[in-house]
Amino acid sequence: METADLSHHISRRFNEDLERVRSKVLAMGGFVEQQLHKAITALTEGDSSLGESVALGDYQVNNMEVSIDEECSRILATRAPAAGDLRVIVAIIKTITDLERIGDEGEKIGYIASRLATMERPADKYREIKHLGRIVSEMVHDALDAFARMDAESALRVARQDRLVDEEYEAIQRQSITFMMEDPRTIRRALDVMWVVRALERIGDHAKNISEYVIYMVYGKDVRHTSLDDVERELRERAIPPGEPKPTVVP
Amino acid sequence: MRIPLQPTTHAWWFAAGRLLATVVAGLLAGALLGSIWEGLACALAVHLTWQLVVLFRVEWWLRHRSFADPPDISGVWGEIVSQIVRLHRRKRFHKQRFVQLMRQLQSSTAALPDGVVILNPLHEIVWFNRMAGRLLDLRRSADLGLRIENLLREPEFARYLRLQDYASPVIIRRASRDDCYLSLQIVPYGDGQQLLLAADVSRQMRLEAVRRDFVANASHELRSPLTVIAGYLETLSQDPALDRDLAGPVAEMRRQAERMTAIIHDLLELSRLEQTGETVGGEAIDIAALLALLRKDVLARPVHPREVRVRIDSDAALIGVEAEIHSAFSNLVDNAAKYTPVEGSIEMRWWADEDGGHFSVTDTGIGIPSEHIPRLTERFYRVDQGRSRATGGSGLGLAIVKHVLQRHGAELEVRSAIGKGSAFTCHFPPQRVHAVRAAAAV
Repeated sequence: METADLSHHISRRFNEDLERVRSKVLAMGGFVEQQLHKAITALTEGDSSLGESVALGDYQVNNMEVSIDEECSRILATRAPAAGDLRVIVAIIKTITDLERIGDEGEKIGYIASRLATMERPADKYREIKHLGRIVSEMVHDALDAFARMDAESALRVARQDRLVDEEYEAIQRQSITFMMEDPRTIRRALDVMWVVRALERIGDHAKNISEYVIYMVYGKDVRHTSLDDVERELRERAIPPGEPKPTVVP
Repeated sequence: MRIPLQPTTHAWWFAAGRLLATVVAGLLAGALLGSIWEGLACALAVHLTWQLVVLFRVEWWLRHRSFADPPDISGVWGEIVSQIVRLHRRKRFHKQRFVQLMRQLQSSTAALPDGVVILNPLHEIVWFNRMAGRLLDLRRSADLGLRIENLLREPEFARYLRLQDYASPVIIRRASRDDCYLSLQIVPYGDGQQLLLAADVSRQMRLEAVRRDFVANASHELRSPLTVIAGYLETLSQDPALDRDLAGPVAEMRRQAERMTAIIHDLLELSRLEQTGETVGGEAIDIAALLALLRKDVLARPVHPREVRVRIDSDAALIGVEAEIHSAFSNLVDNAAKYTPVEGSIEMRWWADEDGGHFSVTDTGIGIPSEHIPRLTERFYRVDQGRSRATGGSGLGLAIVKHVLQRHGAELEVRSAIGKGSAFTCHFPPQRVHAVRAAAAV
């Protein structure tokens, strides 16, 4: 929708800068998504070397964050963007922080996965974690898609998903406690599993944050710490602007 | 409807005649009434008014675009109207043909089993067919104008775009879906335009995985019974009470059992190399030490070429996994030793330049006919039926070499002349070469 706004600048160089930095954020997002996917696979398949490779790859996420951060500072200093452009830059600076955190959580899962791989695997083969992992990965993916498309409605949907993650988190926690009480020998493993579940839950929160930045970027409204229903009502009232004329499309 | 179709000159004559007639009539009327100039002015005024009326009709007609119903006007204006109608008809005809062509093209690309996305030079999506929408999760019309790499964020695809080497497709695993593999290829065309072809290769990848697992498991399962057989054969062959007639067959059985063990060993090694497809990192390998070791191995063979030279032209180290590089190099050196007669010679050489590091094995052996060279690295490929079996090769050596080199981003170059010898050269990329010498050896 508002992507077309990015091309309205008199200075073409500015546009290019903005587009490039956006692409870089999404490339970083893609890498983080893959790290997360690998970490979950490493855990559920018991692949210790994959887990290690995830843990070792995290430095790349950090490098990307630093480089994007620098570029944003440069744009702020040299172009002094206003209004929508300023919001884009602010949202980017916040988004990369959350992405970096997701990377860190992925690293954590990778470490734990390589440790758990040496232990006996539970009968359910971490089915619960697989399930939660899928929800969370989808959230990250959809949040980044919403970022790429500047799509506030999808972003809102992602933010709503977070409740599901919290419920799932509770459920796994209860289950782990039952396991620990039944058989104290599993406590060590169950504690590690709890760490993973906790990390996944945190990733869900970060994905929610990213989608909130998307809403901020598109509508200029800070929706953090407000109820999502209020946000939705407000967005509806604003009568979401119709899409800009698209490039010539053959029907 | 009537379209005046006088030739242009007639229309002009007609218009000129009418103007003349009006002027003459005005002059006559003026002469009769006693004032020529007023008569002339009146006549011109009439003419102008009439012209204005015609002009108004033409303009009204054009504005309302009622092309089907042109005004009935004579003279030059009529001619202009008919020209416009003709132009319009031609345009409509071309437009219809164009739309029809476009529809045909669209329905054919839409029916393609593969996804097709048209990208502009900035990688922005211009158009995509239905299958592309489904495979890549693109949204109709909403995603037009977005950059493809913003939606397809897989790092492999980003690298593919960055390297701009579009000769072969890149295979990515969709992070958003379970076990969905896509093969993506960019085809540049026209003025910076690009076509992105996407195909779902999940099935092929699954089959490939099944095949790999099968080979690995089968080789593994075969190994234990074979060890037992080989063990008994060894005991049997050393048994002095063994019937002399049986000594020959038992010795042959032992040799074959050894060969099978070698094949299984190589199969396992290959499947291990295949399991992890990614380019490996590794440590700095001291090539000089490695080659010295390989030379010793050749000289330890019961029959070996008289001359085995090692030439180290660079003290640069190679970055890689030592076990794999050793396996690849030793396969190359083994081959050279096998196919070179005793009076021949082998040379191993390591050198580095701006293109990277290079390792070559040159022999003065029997050589390879050129038509076989492209297929040498295929599994179990034999130049001729007797050749490899007689020397006890597994038929997998060069396949292993190929895989190891692939994992290290290197290429294999083979040159050979029958009766003169062969040269196998491995070219490693510059980032694999460490300029500082790791450790002194030789």
